[in-house]
Amino acid sequence: MRGGNRLKGSLPRIQPIISPNHSHRHGYPLSGLMGVIETNNLTYRYGPRRGVDAVSLNIREGSLYGFLGPNGAGKTTTIRVLLGFLHAREGTAKILGLDCWSQSAQIKRDVGYVPGDLRLWPWLDGRAAVKMVASVRDLNLDRKARELADLFELDLGVKVRRMSKGMRQKLGLILAMAHEPKLLILDEPSSGLDPLMQDRLLDELRSVARQGRTVFFSSHTLSEVERLCERLAIIRHGKIVFDGELAALRARAGHEITLRWKSGSPDTLSHALPAGVRIVSRDGPDILLHASANVVGLLPWLSTLPIDDLALGRPDLESLFREFYQDQPATTAQGSAT
Amino acid sequence: MNLGLIQRALREMAPVTLLCAALLSAISGLLAYALPQVQARFAQRSFIPPGLQQLRNVMLGVDSSTGGIADIAFSIGWSHPVVLILLCTQAIFVCTRVPAGEIERGTIDILMGLPVSRWQLFLSETVAWLISGLFVLAAIYLGSFVGAMFINPEYRPSWGKLAMVLVNLGFVYALVSTLGLLAGTISDRRGRAVLFVLVIAVGSLLLNYLQLIWDPAKHVSFLSFLHYYRPIGMLQRGEWPWRDLAILGSVTLCAWTAAGVMLSKRPLTTL
Repeated sequence: MRGGNRLKGSLPRIQPIISPNHSHRHGYPLSGLMGVIETNNLTYRYGPRRGVDAVSLNIREGSLYGFLGPNGAGKTTTIRVLLGFLHAREGTAKILGLDCWSQSAQIKRDVGYVPGDLRLWPWLDGRAAVKMVASVRDLNLDRKARELADLFELDLGVKVRRMSKGMRQKLGLILAMAHEPKLLILDEPSSGLDPLMQDRLLDELRSVARQGRTVFFSSHTLSEVERLCERLAIIRHGKIVFDGELAALRARAGHEITLRWKSGSPDTLSHALPAGVRIVSRDGPDILLHASANVVGLLPWLSTLPIDDLALGRPDLESLFREFYQDQPATTAQGSAT
Repeated sequence: MNLGLIQRALREMAPVTLLCAALLSAISGLLAYALPQVQARFAQRSFIPPGLQQLRNVMLGVDSSTGGIADIAFSIGWSHPVVLILLCTQAIFVCTRVPAGEIERGTIDILMGLPVSRWQLFLSETVAWLISGLFVLAAIYLGSFVGAMFINPEYRPSWGKLAMVLVNLGFVYALVSTLGLLAGTISDRRGRAVLFVLVIAVGSLLLNYLQLIWDPAKHVSFLSFLHYYRPIGMLQRGEWPWRDLAILGSVTLCAWTAAGVMLSKRPLTTL
């Protein structure tokens, strides 16, 4: 049963109800006015197979936007349509007000992109790769590329064919970020990076957002997005099932109430539960409840129960996220921001 | 066009192009040195064994019972299967790289993430291919020129007429290359694209040889691109083969345009 093991010991994993304002914790404004990425009912099919279905997104300038979903949900397909690799026959997709198919080349002047499965030309070394990208972009990227190489501790003199996956990922990030684009589209960018480099990457992305630039960050792990983004969309089976602020996702999660019964097992509790409260798991005297109702209104009821200990908190988002992945039918849930 | 993309393409093409150019130069030099002397010996004997005459006709794709030593020798040299196969190999290698090769290698995503349109990519690839093609064709001509320096001057061809042959060979090369471009834009797998052009190239070679020894093949010999490449006629008469050039050029243009249109419309992503 989900959460059954959590109750052992001293109720360790419940998060505090009072948390910092997540939306502003990185010190940059929540969002600007301009829609950097705008899609409306975007639909793409691989022949009879579904790619994405009626995806509508509106991502504002300066935001750190997480795009979450399990493998095969449609994250990469969405990104490929946005970058003009695929032509969506239904719906519209715009970046910086330009059409993602017909004006793709123009868009990509202001976009940096790291693909999910990054491959680079094996005969190039880091410097030659930077030089090649600089030549295509008709820019001098040497200084910024060196700065980023220092940040990620990458030796640009190594040939791509001799690089590990992590080194290639770092080089991909350098190539995507060196021209300081208005929009960074990163498809699972931290794969292959060690925890220290992941931290540095997230810090750098926060710095990018502070400069008013936008980061579109795709991942299949919530914890990564939770550390970075103030807004996110969750995609499942090609459809957006949540789009809103992380705070809205938290609010949607309700509360977890963990009780330790004074003696024995609370056999009769299930008959006396108030509306909006359900039992999640039992483990001896410990019982985990989920309350979608206002938790303050439940306090009088809780005070009548024969309990030794009580903890209130938000469920961790990972469990909510799993519910999105596994159980919920693919209908859009809008967060407060949309 | 994009200079960065052209440089990138040339860099990728360089090893195979240099290798093919070196081999073509050496082989055409060797043939230019050896074949006129062999031909001269046959001419002195006033007799060529029927089997050898047949073989020579097959090599040239036409009846060559009459003709000067230099004309016949250099015609054989410039339509030698090894020369044609090496030239086709370079063309196929160079022209099936984008997008089939990039898709197969997984680098198409990073390439398409750069701010270039699909037509810019296609034109840049075309320019890089043309540069590499001119290089290998020049290597053949240079090889022949150097080889001919070591033979009796009377066995040397007219260099102007040989330049005509070079142009005709260039049209053949362009046709094979654009078929490679087309196959490379249709397919996601480079192996399939290479196989497609290889079948056409080998088929053309075989058909060109078969039509002289097997009557039914004559009826379909026009399908072979070598049907439009006859060095002996140019070397003997010094006339431009306008019809052949027009046919080769038209098919090349159609294949190139189709490849460009295909590239501009198709999905371009890593598999």
